[in-house]
Amino acid sequence: MSDNRSLSNSTALRDGSVLRRVRHLGSARDGLREWRLQRLTALALIPLGLYFTASLLRLATSDRLTAAEWLSSPVPALLVILFLLAGLAHMLIGLRSVFLDYVHSRARLLAAGLLVRAATAVLMGASVLAVLKLFLGR
Amino acid sequence: MPMQRPLSPFMFPTWYRFQITSALSILHRLTGIALAVGSILLTWWLVAVAAGGELFAVTHAFIRSPVGRVLLFLWSVAFFYHLCNGIRHLAWDAGYGFELRSAYRGGYIVIAVALLLTVLAWAYVLLA
Repeated sequence: MSDNRSLSNSTALRDGSVLRRVRHLGSARDGLREWRLQRLTALALIPLGLYFTASLLRLATSDRLTAAEWLSSPVPALLVILFLLAGLAHMLIGLRSVFLDYVHSRARLLAAGLLVRAATAVLMGASVLAVLKLFLGR
Repeated sequence: MPMQRPLSPFMFPTWYRFQITSALSILHRLTGIALAVGSILLTWWLVAVAAGGELFAVTHAFIRSPVGRVLLFLWSVAFFYHLCNGIRHLAWDAGYGFELRSAYRGGYIVIAVALLLTVLAWAYVLLA
């Protein structure tokens, strides 16, 4: 590129026309949805992750009452749930890229993908349930 | 007897020097994996807080132990690094910063900001 301007200003009028042009590009002809979700969750995780990490570091070393109290208030509960959903989705997509690089047979790739997807579903369910229990039980 | 051809991953660092671009790239992947493993412990902690009782007592004791504190610290370092380098990736996705000079400069900024955030976070935790 001769200049540093972002490409998007000069090549797109509306998101739809960009989407129609870039869909099915690449050797796999697939993955645009994951690519966009990865970037979307990444953006969401900037504020959510900072908030969660700061709170976690503060609370992880405190006694149960402080952490449970914090999670039973509505705004922390909401932000933590959003963090968990965005974070675990982001993790799932990221791990798929890692598997694609290091798992060489199709069967093992599918198995690994299913395993991680199942584990993520369990983690998502358990963590959201835990926060809901604290929030609804106040 | 002729020497074996050097092959990946044994090219580093004797035959092929690390550069900030390649080092930060693999570090982004490694911290991502570390955070993924950490999410299991995170979920465990949330479930323990919700369940209370024996489970929470055991979890809490582990976190307060030296091993627990070190793990928490390492997790925070991984998180702040992955966050900063992730923003660098987002800038690339938007089309900015592909020149080699920009990539190097961005790399140094990422390391500096990640360290700064870690220091600030732990200062906040330990002093507030």
